Amino acid sequence: MSSTQMLKGIIDGCVLAIIKDKEVYGYELAEKLEAYGFESFSEGTIYPMLMRMQREELVTATFKKSTAGPRRKYYSLTQKGEEELQQFIYRWKQLQQSVNQVLRFESDD
Amino acid sequence: MTNPQLSKKSNKFLEDLRAYLFAKGKKFEEIKEITNELEMHLLEAEKNGKPIEKIVGNSPAEYMEMISKEMDIDVSGWFKYILLIIIGSFTFKIFSDVSKGELAYSVFEIVGHIADSILFIILLFAAVKFISKRQLSDTKAILIVTPIILIEMGIFVGIIYFNNRIDSPMIHFGETGTWLAVALSAILIIGMTLWAKTSVLVVVLLLLFLPDYLLSFTSLQLEMQLIISLLITYGGIALYLWLVFPKEK
Repeated sequence: MSSTQMLKGIIDGCVLAIIKDKEVYGYELAEKLEAYGFESFSEGTIYPMLMRMQREELVTATFKKSTAGPRRKYYSLTQKGEEELQQFIYRWKQLQQSVNQVLRFESDD
Repeated sequence: MTNPQLSKKSNKFLEDLRAYLFAKGKKFEEIKEITNELEMHLLEAEKNGKPIEKIVGNSPAEYMEMISKEMDIDVSGWFKYILLIIIGSFTFKIFSDVSKGELAYSVFEIVGHIADSILFIILLFAAVKFISKRQLSDTKAILIVTPIILIEMGIFVGIIYFNNRIDSPMIHFGETGTWLAVALSAILIIGMTLWAKTSVLVVVLLLLFLPDYLLSFTSLQLEMQLIISLLITYGGIALYLWLVFPKEK
């Protein structure tokens, strides 16, 4: 698995976590991801991702007037999205634990 | 449709994305939604000094494909256009032929024109996809579309030429049939204009008859008149589809 492929599933989970915290619009979401250190990806890739999540009913979108003028599309988490996020957190903790174990016991000597 | 606050590169990308998704047969509303969203994103990104590559990556073509994959194809929309162009071209033919008397078409002519229309649509949409995905300049776009128009014209002339030499059954409409066909065509054109809520038929109708009519006042030879009028008609239709259509919605 390439690092971009691995990153894809992880970004999915992080996007859900960010949206759960507070509803966001596209640019805001990209900025937050970058602020957390995901800098290598192209910002635009969040849109196909959000489109897929909308189709899978993990997120919903509403249009709101912004102070900047035109309407912005804000994303929020659905019930299904929250469940998916919980599963991601569980999977991530498992994976993290396994990787940590391997690294601790195999690379120390 | 271009946003004066955006850089030329970003505007070109948005235009090409719009054309690409349109040629891929995606829904108008969805195309509008995603391009608007990206426009806002690019605006904010440019204000913060980010280059467009930071948003769409190093390959705009790959990015366009990524977006396209997440969108459904608007089958009924596609069907609408194909039907519109085929029936539209027939109703126009009926209008122009009826001035010369009762209608009569050979089976070869009818089948030929249907096949020709379908081929034209397929080639044109393939060209729009090719051009927009690679973000080619307008000059290159014209270089690609021109042969398609020439092929189309060639086949059109070929149908007329072979129609007189190939023996295929004739369908005579008779007086009643002719008027019925004309009335039906008129109803179809009015109905389709209202249904599709687009000016395409009116534009095509003008492109089809105005050149013929105006050229008949010139001293040009009949063959020359025919060729020029065809060139204006198909060139105009192609230009209309390429320039106005994706932006109109």
